[in-house]
Amino acid sequence: MKGFIFATMNLIQEIRTLIGKDLLLELRSRYAISGILLYVFSTIFIVYTAFINVQPETWNALFWIIILFASVNAILKSFIQENSNRQLYYYSLVSPLAVILSKIIYNVLLLLVLNLLTWLAFSFVAGNPVRDTGQFFLALFLGSVGFSITFTFVSAISSKADNSATLMAILSFPLVIPILLTLIKMSANALRLIQDTGIQKDIVILIAIDLILLGMAFVLYPFLWRD
Amino acid sequence: MVKHWWKALGVLIIIYTFIAGMLVPLRPGIVDVVPSSIRTGEEVKVEVKGYNSNFEKAQDSLRAWLKMDNDRALAASRIEVKNDQELTATFNVPEYLPINSKVKDFSVIIDNEIDGASVLPSGVFITQDSIDPEMGQAVWRNSKIDKLHDKEQVTFPFRNILSETIRNTYFHVPLWFAMVFIFLGGVIYSALYLRTNDPKFDDRAQALTSVGILYGILGLITGAIWAKNTWGAYWSWDVKQNMTAVALLIYAAYFILRASFEDPERTSRISAVYNLFAFAALIPLIYVIPRMTDSLHPGAGGNPAFGGEDLDNTMRMVFYPAIIGWTLIGLWIASLQYRTNRLRAKLLDIDSETSLQGAMLDRLK
Repeated sequence: MKGFIFATMNLIQEIRTLIGKDLLLELRSRYAISGILLYVFSTIFIVYTAFINVQPETWNALFWIIILFASVNAILKSFIQENSNRQLYYYSLVSPLAVILSKIIYNVLLLLVLNLLTWLAFSFVAGNPVRDTGQFFLALFLGSVGFSITFTFVSAISSKADNSATLMAILSFPLVIPILLTLIKMSANALRLIQDTGIQKDIVILIAIDLILLGMAFVLYPFLWRD
Repeated sequence: MVKHWWKALGVLIIIYTFIAGMLVPLRPGIVDVVPSSIRTGEEVKVEVKGYNSNFEKAQDSLRAWLKMDNDRALAASRIEVKNDQELTATFNVPEYLPINSKVKDFSVIIDNEIDGASVLPSGVFITQDSIDPEMGQAVWRNSKIDKLHDKEQVTFPFRNILSETIRNTYFHVPLWFAMVFIFLGGVIYSALYLRTNDPKFDDRAQALTSVGILYGILGLITGAIWAKNTWGAYWSWDVKQNMTAVALLIYAAYFILRASFEDPERTSRISAVYNLFAFAALIPLIYVIPRMTDSLHPGAGGNPAFGGEDLDNTMRMVFYPAIIGWTLIGLWIASLQYRTNRLRAKLLDIDSETSLQGAMLDRLK
């Protein structure tokens, strides 16, 4: 029991250090995050000039498409930004669990900030049709978690290949569709496009999907990193 | 020969499925009723079109009803038989109906001693001009539906819209069951590979997954043909159709992933990891989401679930063996694929060795 607690404390310490490292890297080389933000804002601008008057149905669809592509772009670099020698160095210091968990947590935070900024910017140009802010925020949060787990794991897989950007899109889009469909339904409910009294069921399903994928990522990552 | 018994069993079951599934006739049923809407207070001649029926042969025992609910029904006053498939039944519809609504649907029931009873649910709608349940009760001449001929024959049930396409139950549905079993086999071999690092297991996983994709495509095609005949279009953007397309995309990505590595050990390891992860993502795709949303498929959106009254005992005797048969055939295809892959790998090895030797000999000359 004591050993278990010690190991857990150790893991948490490692994760905190690794998240701090990722944050430092992000802030030192600001091109990545500013690139994503620029991508989001230019997409929103294009969408607005194309539609001018955005109906709530269109708003809902476009919002999640923008989020989807921004998330893929933001997470794509997770495992590619550092070369394999430095990764080997990390693996000699910390456990693989700490590596994947820290990446997932860091990406959840990154996506959450990104989603909120997208919401803000999209509302600024196209209006904010959200009626139930709490529920919409919950959808954003669960979406960030689901996207982060799936995309982080897929980027770990695709970083092993040469054409990782293409592979990332091919592997992750089909995998993320169940999450995306549930999210669109949830946010349609938050926009009052549909009246769904059984929305709790969708929330439970989203959490279940997230947990299954998180569990799989935990079990499988140790097989993935050693090269 | 002893160890190949399962292949023979698979072939036998599939032959049985084809013969029994295609040759057993459908139970007699009612295809169409004209006119389908009637006004109260008239004597109407209703033309009934039967299917696989023997109206002419069983002329003497023919009876027909318009059934309102479990207690109340109108009997036909006269029945004229045109031929085995067509008859005209005359009903005297009273001035008022004993109900509180303007329109009411009636089931058409035909019974005779050769075919047994056949029903067309909601076959006729009767409209009354004004509502007066008490008046309706007074003029209602009830005739009890009794002494129906109960025929025990080896037949498949007759369902409207489905009619003969009900036989697709032995191809479309078992192919899906078999696909899931085969994908599951692939996942088990991928997990075994990760435990043991034995390339044999990865080859097996690859072979099973490719057969799974083949079955997925076959299931999609048989489903599309069925949908064209029953729902009216090959592709109706039904949630299960969409999720299946996505599932096939996920597994197509598995093969693209395999193709993008040079090192065979790395290919095996990473594709095994992806196979396990993809299967976990597939469970909500195939089992959870289609049950949440409206679907044209049975078992969702208020449609009755598959099983229960959809499958009668005669159908069960073909349906369950069909699942086993298709799974065994799939395993056989996978084992052939596995062996050709091993042979190809061996040939490549020999090829590269001999060409290497040739190059070295050239150098020496």
